[in-house]
Amino acid sequence: MRALGPGSVSSFLKIILDVVFFALWIGIGAVCLMMLAAVLFSFNPELIENMSIRTGGGTQIDAGGPVLLGGLAAAGLYLAGVLVIVERLRRIFSTLTAGDPFHPENVRRLRVIGLVLAGLEIGRYVIYGLGAWALPDAAISQPEFSPTAWFSVLVVFVLAEVFREGARLRREAELTI
Amino acid sequence: MPIRVNLDRVLLQRRMSLTELADRVGVTIANLSILKTGKARAVRFSTLSALCRELDCQPGDLLIYEPGPDDVGDDDLD
Repeated sequence: MRALGPGSVSSFLKIILDVVFFALWIGIGAVCLMMLAAVLFSFNPELIENMSIRTGGGTQIDAGGPVLLGGLAAAGLYLAGVLVIVERLRRIFSTLTAGDPFHPENVRRLRVIGLVLAGLEIGRYVIYGLGAWALPDAAISQPEFSPTAWFSVLVVFVLAEVFREGARLRREAELTI
Repeated sequence: MPIRVNLDRVLLQRRMSLTELADRVGVTIANLSILKTGKARAVRFSTLSALCRELDCQPGDLLIYEPGPDDVGDDDLD
């Protein structure tokens, strides 16, 4: 089975990424709708006072309007970050499907993916910090340092350099008569 | 690039058009234009020998070394 070109593994992965891309847009739309609802309900505080958020650790947090909005905004930002990654991956896989892996644009796309991955990882700590500051009584589980995530970030940056070298060699080959 | 390609002059001396040379050598006109305008990074020996064969000349007739301020090393190509 071929890895590059039309009808290859990369074209199959491109289809999966297309599906994930549109699912993420739906997810972001749903989060935006929930944020809008939270803002509208904030005009009637009794409704929001009755709401509660269950954290991953099983802790129940009474959610006021700002807490709920903050949580939804964090979820929206996370989804937006994943959306940026998936969108760049779609474009990279388009070039792989076209049989042109060392397209010069792929270098920038990989760098963006690396930066967003790092941003998402840092965002995890920031959101924990904000949560701990906003809800001092809630037992929010502390995010652990994830070597895998940072390893992935470094691998993506190294891959970006590999692609940069590939793009340079491609240009050299194009200008070799 | 301090290497200059003298294809224009040799073509004029041989009264041959770029299109005709492209047909004879088996290189596209676009690639020959890249070579003629000095944008090429490298020339294959096979291309050079085909050019010399069709133009009845030596590699030295086609390529000239002109040292100057843009004389860069291979590491500075990018």
